[in-house]
Amino acid sequence: MTAEVLAPLEPTPAQPSRRRRGPLSPLARYMLVRVALIIPMLWVLVTMVFLLMRVIGDPVTAAQGGRLNAEQIAERKHAAGLDRPMLTQYWEYITGLLHGDFGTTLTDHREISGILTHYGAATLELSFWALLVAFAVGVPLGRLAARYRDRLPDVILRLFAILIYAAPVFFVGLLLKLAFTPFGWPSSGRSSTQTELILDNVHPHTNIMIVDALLWGDPKIILEVLQYAVLPAVALGLLTGGVFLRLVRINLLQTLRMDYVTAARARGVSERRVVRKHAFRNALVPVVTVMGMQIALLLAGAVLTETTFEWKGIGYELTQYLKARDFLAVQGIVTAIAVIVCVASLVIDAIVALVDPRVRF
Amino acid sequence: MKNFRRGTAIIAVSALAGMALAACGQSKDDDNKDAGGSNLVVGTTDKVVSIDPAGSYDNGSLTVQTQVYQYLLNFPAGSTTLTPDAASKCDFEQPTEYVCTIKPGLKFANGHALTASDVAFSFKRIVKINDPNGPASLLGNMKSVEAKDDKTVVFTLNSPNDQTFGQVLVTSAGPIVDEETYPADKVLDDDAAVKAQGFSGPYTIGKYTKGQIAEFKANADYDGAYNKPKTKTITLSTYADANNLKLDVQNGKIDVAWRSLTPTDIASLGKDDKVKVHKGAGGELRYIVFNMKTMPGDNDDQKLAIRKAMASSLDRDELSTQVYKGTYTPAYSAVPQGQVGATEPFKDKYGDKPDKAAAKKFLDDAGVKTPVTLKLQYNTDHYGSSSTEEYNMVKRQLEDTGLFKVDLQSTEYVTYSKERVKDAYPMFQLGWFPDFPDADNYVTPFFAPNNFLQSHYNFSDKDNPVPEMTKLLKSEATDGDKTSRVATLKQIQDLVADQVPILPLLTGAQIAVAGKDVKGVEETLDPAFKFRFTSLSK
Repeated sequence: MTAEVLAPLEPTPAQPSRRRRGPLSPLARYMLVRVALIIPMLWVLVTMVFLLMRVIGDPVTAAQGGRLNAEQIAERKHAAGLDRPMLTQYWEYITGLLHGDFGTTLTDHREISGILTHYGAATLELSFWALLVAFAVGVPLGRLAARYRDRLPDVILRLFAILIYAAPVFFVGLLLKLAFTPFGWPSSGRSSTQTELILDNVHPHTNIMIVDALLWGDPKIILEVLQYAVLPAVALGLLTGGVFLRLVRINLLQTLRMDYVTAARARGVSERRVVRKHAFRNALVPVVTVMGMQIALLLAGAVLTETTFEWKGIGYELTQYLKARDFLAVQGIVTAIAVIVCVASLVIDAIVALVDPRVRF
Repeated sequence: MKNFRRGTAIIAVSALAGMALAACGQSKDDDNKDAGGSNLVVGTTDKVVSIDPAGSYDNGSLTVQTQVYQYLLNFPAGSTTLTPDAASKCDFEQPTEYVCTIKPGLKFANGHALTASDVAFSFKRIVKINDPNGPASLLGNMKSVEAKDDKTVVFTLNSPNDQTFGQVLVTSAGPIVDEETYPADKVLDDDAAVKAQGFSGPYTIGKYTKGQIAEFKANADYDGAYNKPKTKTITLSTYADANNLKLDVQNGKIDVAWRSLTPTDIASLGKDDKVKVHKGAGGELRYIVFNMKTMPGDNDDQKLAIRKAMASSLDRDELSTQVYKGTYTPAYSAVPQGQVGATEPFKDKYGDKPDKAAAKKFLDDAGVKTPVTLKLQYNTDHYGSSSTEEYNMVKRQLEDTGLFKVDLQSTEYVTYSKERVKDAYPMFQLGWFPDFPDADNYVTPFFAPNNFLQSHYNFSDKDNPVPEMTKLLKSEATDGDKTSRVATLKQIQDLVADQVPILPLLTGAQIAVAGKDVKGVEETLDPAFKFRFTSLSK
């Protein structure tokens, strides 16, 4: 057999060449597409919020209907620009949003952007503590459940996960309050009144209690702020913790069935080491992915948690404005929450794309 | 990814350590007492709509305004006698001219002088701004107001000899603001109001976060009707949930819980050794209104008989004890007990216990077929969380007589307030919180022509007029003689009991719950409905 020297293949005009990928890396292309998708998604969200607020009736009548006569209502509607064509209102609303203007509340004439800035810090803090609790509960317990698959600890943990996910957050909150307040554990507010007044003197004042307390530097106050955060963080964190528990469990079980894990076992690696060294890290990737979705769940839960525990954040304010039927305020706050969820999802997507090349285009 | 596990472990440990640390670090609030200079904390669920008097007419705002503004006249703690506050005297100089002389040397916390010009400005702007949340409606009888000089203010009235005008000066329409810092044509927002320090009341506001916290600091320059503040710094903390308010007063996180605990919470706190439930004169009235046109009955006689039969069928004591745990007491008149001139004609005419025989007689005499179907409407979100329980009990009591069949319906307040004036409800629930502690405030708004009830009772000369009532109301409102005015008020209340345009059910006591070491709470729970921080101390 004579060996033929193979000439390198040259592409013929009839054969299409490999598609050019252009100058962008897969990660950059992936992020560009995500950003491009966020824009229509935000537009749909904002439009839906705007239309929903109009469907339930005109905001002035809803907020002031019991107080004003028809003439006064017409006057207020005119002042608020609510008597103009829907499209004009919509255009003004959209252009206002692009300039960071979420509007003004009807009942107490406050700038909604100011409310978001001030109270958003409190919600951010609660969400941080809740995520911490969710990780602390969900990850180790998920791992434990996977380890004892289909045995009693696993069954108990799965049941626990379902229960805490299904239980309304305010119900969990009330149970926690009933359980701990008899022992003097604080269950309302973010600190004592005295501490709140002290921390008001901190410069720069962030309205993130723990940051302000750290800046003030008094250990007693830091401990108090932590103490006040425990119950609301546990109530809200358990909600997400249940999701994490089930995710970690199922992903860990899937990973343990992978070929490379089987190979590790075949090499005589101990089961504990297989889980810890080979499977656990990979099982956590989907948890990071799901975190984006959990931001929405956290913010939804925050509305109820903040009211239950007098934690004065965006959710608390939203509840107050809902009670007052101030639908312009509700529109602004809900829109802001929608934007936050979209942006948070984008950030999470970016993180996932960085740690897991498989998701890139 | 390499350090992910370690990161997770750190997060878990941090969270648990934080909690453990917090648990170990439990310290009583006492540890921090005085650290911020706060000596006393008052909690409330009332929302402050606006510190600016032109933009608010609600209990939450009134609580703040009571502490920081002066009025021309005021009610010192425990008194319902008009007493000079920023004015040294106020009186009629002509039937339509009410003149006030301002005390010399008064000034706002920002150093600006308080003069007659500020007073006139304060009233003018309320009318001019006419904010939907504001108290402009209270100044309906004020034609104009002018500062004659630095010391003299002249109110020109539409109706002569209005005996209630002095009382109006103590309401939400009465606070005096600084014309140099408050705009004439718009409501000043809260942060700007705090910054402006246009306060001349017993307290000024230090730190303030709307909807959260307000710090009141004693005003050393205060010269008015109240006593000097007994506590240097008082903090007002706002709650969304009455349950949290209850827990915090129970645990000593706050010293006083002022509005609005539920009846169940109040009953439970009454059994707690750590706190004391303080009750004061009530002013709130809860009642059923009858629409004279649409209520059941073939003619006016039958309609009146049905109203009287209902009045004979109710057990107000049961409503008071079972639903409201004694926080509301039975009301047998349009004017609650405690007001000058209040009587109890409904008790005299219809008894204080259900009387089935008397009710049946009213109906039989008028030829009304029984059972009478009553469409009774109540509201779910405006008159307290116990309204449902209250009206279900009313339904049961009426049906227990066998004379009525009650179709009970509820509507949320915005719709309710619009529909009730459109004759949509044959009979419906209403509540009333007085603007000032005078019997007139319980009768004129309800029974004068073009009244608030809009139920076709004495509504106009053409719509079911009651000239006798109009004449009596005009007489009591302009009568300067106390004895004859009280006699007229009795006649009015008797006439209401005879004609039953409304059926009074309950009157509410003012309730505050405070720690055992708090003094002065009861002193301020008087019929003037002003919660004065100046009375409070520990």
